[in-house]
Amino acid sequence: MGRKSYSIERKQAKWGLIFTIPCLVFFAVFSFYPIINALLTSFTNRRAIARTSEFVGFENYVYIFTKDNGGFPLSNSIRATLIFTIGTFIPMIIASLIIATFLMQLRKDKYRGFFQLMYYTPAVLSSVVAAAIWMIIFDPRGLMNQISNFVMRTSGVDYNWLVDSTMLQISTMMIYFWKYIGYFVILFITGLASIPSTIYEAATVDGSSRWHTFWKITLPLLKPTTAMVSIMAMLQCLKTFSTQYMLYQGGSSRFPIDVITMNIYFTGIRNGRLGRASAMSIVLFLIMLIFTYIQLRLTRSSEDVEY
Amino acid sequence: MNKFVGKVTIVEVLVWVLLIAVLLFTVTPIVFMMVASFMDAKQILAMPFSWIPSREYFTSADRTFFTNFHKAIMGNNDNPMFFRNLLNSLIVAITDSATTVILASLCGYGLAKFRFRGRHFIFLAIMSTMMIPFEAIMIPLYMVVSGMDMINTYRGMIIPFMVSAFGVFQMRQYLLTFPSEYLDAARVDGVTEPGIYAKIVLPNSKPVIATLGILSFRNQWDNLLWPLLVAQSEAMKTVPQYITKFSEEKMTDEGAMMACAFLASIPMIILFFSLSRYFLGGAAVYESRKG
Repeated sequence: MGRKSYSIERKQAKWGLIFTIPCLVFFAVFSFYPIINALLTSFTNRRAIARTSEFVGFENYVYIFTKDNGGFPLSNSIRATLIFTIGTFIPMIIASLIIATFLMQLRKDKYRGFFQLMYYTPAVLSSVVAAAIWMIIFDPRGLMNQISNFVMRTSGVDYNWLVDSTMLQISTMMIYFWKYIGYFVILFITGLASIPSTIYEAATVDGSSRWHTFWKITLPLLKPTTAMVSIMAMLQCLKTFSTQYMLYQGGSSRFPIDVITMNIYFTGIRNGRLGRASAMSIVLFLIMLIFTYIQLRLTRSSEDVEY
Repeated sequence: MNKFVGKVTIVEVLVWVLLIAVLLFTVTPIVFMMVASFMDAKQILAMPFSWIPSREYFTSADRTFFTNFHKAIMGNNDNPMFFRNLLNSLIVAITDSATTVILASLCGYGLAKFRFRGRHFIFLAIMSTMMIPFEAIMIPLYMVVSGMDMINTYRGMIIPFMVSAFGVFQMRQYLLTFPSEYLDAARVDGVTEPGIYAKIVLPNSKPVIATLGILSFRNQWDNLLWPLLVAQSEAMKTVPQYITKFSEEKMTDEGAMMACAFLASIPMIILFFSLSRYFLGGAAVYESRKG
């Protein structure tokens, strides 16, 4: 009896392994091997055309951190990426938290569903489409200048949305904000919906005002969600590419919006400097690893929350 | 009591005002894209902007409301490359979402319902790939794919995105709660293990499969970076590349550009409004490996 069930289990276990192996092979070839390869390539002078590859030690790292890389140094890319990330995710988190809280005030689920659907629509469009639309809205004669002039009570002023380097950075942030706001609203709604309604009922019975309830109950209970969503938003922003690339192709200058991913693309693919691009990739990987580590720590602590 | 009622009303008015303001912000650019695709460049950049397409702006007599769409499809050299690129996008996105669903459900099933040595290690190894952003490995991935002679082929565009660690995670979590008694009952009835997967596991994981499939489809539909690396000939390019190139060449023809953007968005808009609950459900989960 014992022997028989043992052999059945062994037979079943074999199937479990068979089911998982295809996936495992893919991850080995397309995730583990490339990241190890990136690390190794970052210590070589590998180039795309010459196909030479010699060990050069930390030369690429010294190069990307000290030289200006043909006018587009990595330091500028790190600056551009961090400014974009901070300038996008902080307004995004605050706005989506407020919008989600307001949406939860609606009495009918039907209305809430409608607003969620409409807020989410931009996320469905591809990033290049989003950039294409906004490029025309940001045209000197476009809608954005007309609206700005109306709001600022000026007339005929061109705010140089895609020309001035500060405005160009703000424009990329705005496009990203527009595209993903609905996505983050939904994440917050999921968090808000998981707070048991009995807590609110108790607060109402105790005579707590809505304002008071928000600050003393909703926000503290939402802290883990907020922390998790912020890190997620940060990670997404660190990887941004399409918006910046599209605006650059549309004629804007590259320097102010030369995010790390764009620099990797230009250095590695356009200029064929695979060694240097790999070193940049490793830098990006380390930056994101730090953020992922923080995220994991926060997610773990959020599971401990009890109502 | 009256004071209380009054207070509630003010809050409610505020709520509605803010919600509608945000609605205008998210929807206006999309409506702008739609109406502008029927307009002449002159009308798109007219001051003040009028939201209804009008013939009076048309500079030439043979121009119709659909001239923009014609230009968007035919490009510069009267060659309907748009359709070819649209087809490429569909081939890549559909194949990748189908394989992601199959491979992830197989793997998730194996990890959730079988006890074999090393399964914890395998699960952790797969989860750890979520920490590797695509952008950091695209250069070596490019070298791998070019080493396999898959540059400028469908294989090269499709294969690197055939699995998703997040998909495996989601399938595993879902199947952990699936009652094993059903599986054991089928085994007693003599159903083979692949048969159990195909006849019991797959049909019972429809909601996760739909969410996962849509997520994967959307990520590939939106993918610009990888096709930029591997799809080099015009005939292999995808829709995001087509739009980028179009905007470069037709920078002054805003109407044609919006028509192009509009056409490129139609498949996703249809998919979104017919399957919105899977989109909104899928948004609530972290898409770690977006690429």
